[in-house]
Amino acid sequence: MSESNPKPYWKCPEERDAQENFLEAARDEFSEPVVVPTNGFGRRNFLKSAGFAVAAATLAGCSRAPVEKAIPFLVQPEEIIPGKAYFYASTCDGCSAACGMLVKNRDSRPIKLEGNPEHPVTRGGLCAVGQASLLGLYDSSRYLQPQAQGKPTTWDELDRAITAQLLAIRANKGAVRFLTGSIVSPTTRAQVRAFLKTFPVARHVVYDPLSSSAILDAHEGTHGSRLLPHYRFERAEVIVSFDADFLGTWISPVEFTAAYRAGRNPDAQPPRMSYHAQFESRMSITGSKADRRIRIAPNEIGLVMTQLAQRLAAKAGTKLNWNGLTASPMPEKELDDLAARLWAARGKSLVVCGEQEVAVQVLCNFINHLLGNYGATLDIEKPSFQRQGSDRELAALVEELRAGKVAALFTSGVNPVFDLPAGEEFAAALKRVPLVASFTERPDETSALAGYVCAAPHRLESWDDAEAVVGVVSLAQPAIRPLGNVRPLMETLAAWMGAPKSAYDLLRERWQKDVFPQQKSEKSFQAFWDRSVHDGFAVVEAEKSRVQSFQMAAVQPLAGTKPSAFSLVLYPKVGLLDGRHAYNPWLQELPDPVTKVTWDNYACLSPAAAKRLSVIEGDVVRLELASAAGSGNSIELPVYVQPGQHDSVVAVALGYGSKLSERFKHIGPSWFLAKLTTGDDGRVGKNAAPFVELRDGALHYSRADIRVTHTGGRRPLACTQSQNTIAVPKNLELPGVNRRPIVQETTLPVLLHGEAGGHEGQSNAAHEMWPADHPSTGHHWAMVVDMNACTGCSACVVACQAENNVPVVGRDEMLRHRSMHWMRIDRYYSGEDDAIDVAHQPFMCQQCGHAPCETVCPVLATVHSEEGLNQQIYNRCVGTRYCANNCPYKTRRFNWFDYLHDDTLQNMALNPDVAVRTRGVMEKCTFCVQRIQAAKIEAKQRGEKVADGAIQTACQQTCPAQAIVFGDRNDPKSRVSQLLKSGRNYAVLGEFNFQPSVGYLKIVRNRAESEGEKHNG
Amino acid sequence: MGTRIFTVILMVALVFTVALLAGPLGSIHLPGNQQGYEPPQPINFSHRLHAGEMQIACLYCHSGAQSSRHAGIPAASVCMNCHRVVTAPIGVIRAEDAQAEKEKRPPQPIVSPEIKKLYDALALNNKLQPDPTHQPQPIQWTKVHSLPDFVYFDHRPHVTAGVDCQTCHGAVENMERVKQAGDLSMGWCVNCHRDANRTGIAGKAVKAPVDCSACHY
Repeated sequence: MSESNPKPYWKCPEERDAQENFLEAARDEFSEPVVVPTNGFGRRNFLKSAGFAVAAATLAGCSRAPVEKAIPFLVQPEEIIPGKAYFYASTCDGCSAACGMLVKNRDSRPIKLEGNPEHPVTRGGLCAVGQASLLGLYDSSRYLQPQAQGKPTTWDELDRAITAQLLAIRANKGAVRFLTGSIVSPTTRAQVRAFLKTFPVARHVVYDPLSSSAILDAHEGTHGSRLLPHYRFERAEVIVSFDADFLGTWISPVEFTAAYRAGRNPDAQPPRMSYHAQFESRMSITGSKADRRIRIAPNEIGLVMTQLAQRLAAKAGTKLNWNGLTASPMPEKELDDLAARLWAARGKSLVVCGEQEVAVQVLCNFINHLLGNYGATLDIEKPSFQRQGSDRELAALVEELRAGKVAALFTSGVNPVFDLPAGEEFAAALKRVPLVASFTERPDETSALAGYVCAAPHRLESWDDAEAVVGVVSLAQPAIRPLGNVRPLMETLAAWMGAPKSAYDLLRERWQKDVFPQQKSEKSFQAFWDRSVHDGFAVVEAEKSRVQSFQMAAVQPLAGTKPSAFSLVLYPKVGLLDGRHAYNPWLQELPDPVTKVTWDNYACLSPAAAKRLSVIEGDVVRLELASAAGSGNSIELPVYVQPGQHDSVVAVALGYGSKLSERFKHIGPSWFLAKLTTGDDGRVGKNAAPFVELRDGALHYSRADIRVTHTGGRRPLACTQSQNTIAVPKNLELPGVNRRPIVQETTLPVLLHGEAGGHEGQSNAAHEMWPADHPSTGHHWAMVVDMNACTGCSACVVACQAENNVPVVGRDEMLRHRSMHWMRIDRYYSGEDDAIDVAHQPFMCQQCGHAPCETVCPVLATVHSEEGLNQQIYNRCVGTRYCANNCPYKTRRFNWFDYLHDDTLQNMALNPDVAVRTRGVMEKCTFCVQRIQAAKIEAKQRGEKVADGAIQTACQQTCPAQAIVFGDRNDPKSRVSQLLKSGRNYAVLGEFNFQPSVGYLKIVRNRAESEGEKHNG
Repeated sequence: MGTRIFTVILMVALVFTVALLAGPLGSIHLPGNQQGYEPPQPINFSHRLHAGEMQIACLYCHSGAQSSRHAGIPAASVCMNCHRVVTAPIGVIRAEDAQAEKEKRPPQPIVSPEIKKLYDALALNNKLQPDPTHQPQPIQWTKVHSLPDFVYFDHRPHVTAGVDCQTCHGAVENMERVKQAGDLSMGWCVNCHRDANRTGIAGKAVKAPVDCSACHY
């Protein structure tokens, strides 16, 4: 291997500082010592009883296995063959991004969701939330009946009761308010509009718990039209983001990730590599991918944007009368450089901002306008519908409710009692509204207070449509008969309007009237409809929205506000978002892409801030507004020390502490040492929504003047990242090499103009331990992971869990290092707080050619296949765990328990092609061998060879960034074999010659050579 | 001392178990081995008649074998392709026809008691018209060939390679009631795969996998 010292990367501060107790604790595969009883029922007695048991079982073999029934169809549907999977195109509704997806149906039930590769907006990706939304279908806590006053009722009775009340409201001119999240379905939107038209006083109020209303308001000011631009990251060569986590949670992350990746492909001819600068206060996954990341307090964003706008205006020759600007908090030269870069990429740059201050968003528009980005990287003629909320109208509604002026309130898709700042006040106001009906799938804080609950179907049970961006209309179709007596919103409204109609008919009618005339390719509506249902979407020539030319009047310079000791930043997590998915065990157990903590939210502090408060990870702190200290509006959360965060910021995730998470109290194996997954209040995490501020017509997610006090309590965090380090133990360190080059990176100039990257760490064939007597002549499956493309979004982790029946273990087991995820994404840091680099490394079984696990298995339960797979045979495994101990990559998982699926309904989501493992056996990534076998069988039937790309592993399929490539490395034409030869490819721990079948492509940082690592050629 | 008593108890227990269970010595086999299993079925369906005498191809009814992992048991609608016409053994119908001619009356429809079960399942009356007073009830066949859950078996590659159904299922065309012919053990599978790799199937060279992960995942 190379003599030079690679850039040091570390997983957590303890590892960086090589603290002895950390290395000691993380050294062993199993965190707890194995206790061997020294007296009593010892080894000999055990062997004797075991012998007896075997003999008895053999004899007992005379008895027959239980009788199994095989029940065929009476009349077989033409298109269904039992045991064969079918895919139906649909549209995800995990958030309002409306990504295209495919539903895998086996024997008439959906078992897996995948991205729709033909979808023009999302291009085949599906995020973690989309993947996990399958469990929502098989959720035993769902409403299976409509409810009236907390009791199950029938739709007829509910309709009668509500229409009678509505009649009275109409007569009395009572105010009707329909409160929803952004509705991306044009048909549902039209239906709500039609319903409200039947009332003299009615309004549709839209808000998003993760609001972007300031962007819409700003465009109203600058372009005369309240709209959300369609951001085109793929067209941008310079991307500057101010606190917008567009790869993680902001507006449409799957689409943006695909587009961002398309613009950052150093292997393309010619190479494309956008420059990405991120200004942010906390560490987001978007920031972790940035070429330049600048820590900035939330109150400084407006100031920095003003400075940037002033520089660009000077270049553009736009006269501004901005005098007496506050000095920039960051070096002038750096801002000059950034302005120069942006100016050089006029029309090919993009500035986005996640701040909820309208004036800041106006500045952002101004910058994009100066750069000529409107019409290029921001499409406002065909805008997006992914966020429609108007917080101003929400504020008006809250006022009305407070004054008791609302006669009827309908809520759909939002949980205002939980996700609004004044939730309790809202709840109290709700009690004064005569008619409250909630359209929801499962009991939440709001539906508990609603007089009527209109049980809504899961996305996979009903027809729907979606228009995420103008011109791309998607369809959702049912993939299973509804599991309960549920009814979609549009059908319910049709019934209340006295014209009951099915969602299917409503959709078809509107499509025939509105969508069909917008296209020319199909002559008949039926043909158009059939194709749209088949594809899941239709691209149409929609009318362009009318916008005015840029209004300078709206633009005002901003000064920074006075700094406070701590400001609170509230952010959504990739898994839970605003909390609507808090019922979902897969998402609760998903390690956060940056902190790697599962099952809890926490107060993120920078290392310096933690030092200042003398707290460490797990210490509980109390957060309260300094102005209202002691008023009771406070939350207590454990500390997480987050490198790269701004020193004056404490960041807390939203979406936790909801009623939906009460079900997780006893999740995980029940044994005598088991601890509850939930906190003292019986919920997972704490709700931070009371700290959101509804001010100046916008929901604000940062608060200045927060007091942070150490309570003295402790709550350890179930963080997976400090478990199982592959750092070198002190005593084994080689002289001069104190870090293994696990993460490798290069810079764009080096990659383009330097020598070929070389294959450092590749196998050292001179020290071959094994004779070459196993020629690999057939397939040899291999994978390449492009770490430059990977954003750490963790969609693959959930996709793997869904595909491979990976159990959920609960917080306590996570704390005991007993995570069962076959796939993890290791997150590494390098550098100091101000210039920290982050690397995401998806890690699965490396399917080593010389697998250390295989040599130690006493029962040959893990052996090599002819096709290069490291096979794990569950029924042969006796659970010695030697293999896990000997695995250098720490990718093996042991079933400490039968992770009972007590929720039998949830078992419907199990993949019938993958065994459910029992207690006492080892398991690990199989490269989705069931998919390999299926593709081989299908190819064999057609008499062909397996085509390159015909096999897609679950992680690869869902990856929005297409960071994973799988194929046959023995086929010289396959993509994977070519990528393995690429200069960027390297093997992790390659110096040991394990010959892993997974290659990693180096991260490429778009920065000058001197800034990057020393080249390891 | 305690351990010796323990040993004695175990030995005695073992002897008793042997005495109790080893009576029908001929039927001793390893756990999970269901060779010779011949459960009664809800309808006395005769493979000897259908596959043997009538020579109906296996894939006519078990068409899933070439398109799916499961060969499948045919839907009742598949049975009705023939049994819409054939309501009883042909001999019985002919005898009734002859009798009716002799007695100068229209022949009575005859439905054999076993085929009637099929009509009952579909809620059809004797004239094969839907009987609204009855609910259709799927037929609950008893599964004969059952593999453990940790084995993945797929019919498709075997059918594609040209393996005769009888290779695994025995001479079904001679069986009145289906009986498990092979022991369906792993050795039995693997030996066949090895043989096939040596000798080919029907004169054609094949590549039958002997990797663990061909079946276990």
